[in-house]
Amino acid sequence: MKVDETLPLEYSTEENQLKILGFWIFLGAEIALFSTLFAVYFTLENRFGTGPSAQEIFHMPPVMIETILLLTSSFTIGLGIHAMRLGLKKAMMAFFVITLVLGLGFLGVEIYEFVTYVNEGATIQTSAFLSSLMTLLGTHGLHVTFGLFWGTAILLQVRKRGLTPETANKSFIFSLYWHFLDVVWIFIFSFVYLKGLMVL
Amino acid sequence: MMKQLFPKQHVMGFIFSLALSVVALAVITFDMSYKMGMGILLVTALAQASVQLLLFMHIGESEDRRTLYTNIGYALFVGVVTILGTLFTMIWGYQIR
Repeated sequence: MKVDETLPLEYSTEENQLKILGFWIFLGAEIALFSTLFAVYFTLENRFGTGPSAQEIFHMPPVMIETILLLTSSFTIGLGIHAMRLGLKKAMMAFFVITLVLGLGFLGVEIYEFVTYVNEGATIQTSAFLSSLMTLLGTHGLHVTFGLFWGTAILLQVRKRGLTPETANKSFIFSLYWHFLDVVWIFIFSFVYLKGLMVL
Repeated sequence: MMKQLFPKQHVMGFIFSLALSVVALAVITFDMSYKMGMGILLVTALAQASVQLLLFMHIGESEDRRTLYTNIGYALFVGVVTILGTLFTMIWGYQIR
């Protein structure tokens, strides 16, 4: 395997470069997936029937906590990749652990939010609005959940094998995934919660 | 060591993202028209997405950056057409009738 020493580890072989390109193409497909879910939500957001409306169930405090947790985790994984490029394995692992803990916190608040909705009588079967809302939020939450397992597995590999072209490549690709989930959340935060709470 | 682990660019990007989230909150704290609110949300969301893409995801640093920009540009095109096309047929067209 030809290793180019002038490039960061995660780009150092042709295979690595192609894997990163492949993952960007996958993220393109993810953009299409979330676009369809947003399209469904925007179509059905006012069809709440006899159930609660967005104004009635959305509460900003938990949403702000989720936003800050995910935004910070996106920052810390960025620092993790930066540390990885400096060859600082311990610092990189520490930043990844912080990222995953913040992600777990996000998921905890989101689960709390879903439980609150259901206790208020807002289930996925209550109205078209809630079906589309929970499908959109649930798909994002599922991605975060998957990311927690994926990130943990990569951390274990880095601990065992150290920073190699393979583990660095996997870590970098995971960071792309994590940043992407933050981008999706920004759009949920803006066009689901804030738009839903705008007083017209 | 701290300076090495916390590059200025990343810290600024993070602060900028937090600031944009706070600015976006203006749409629910102040009384404004729907158009004005959506305009603010579009600008703050797109700016935040750009920070992630350009700064944290390093989209522009590899030699195949043009391929990446084309790919993401195409995906965004598909996304925008999906969303606006759906709204056009399901919401806007319906209201005209």
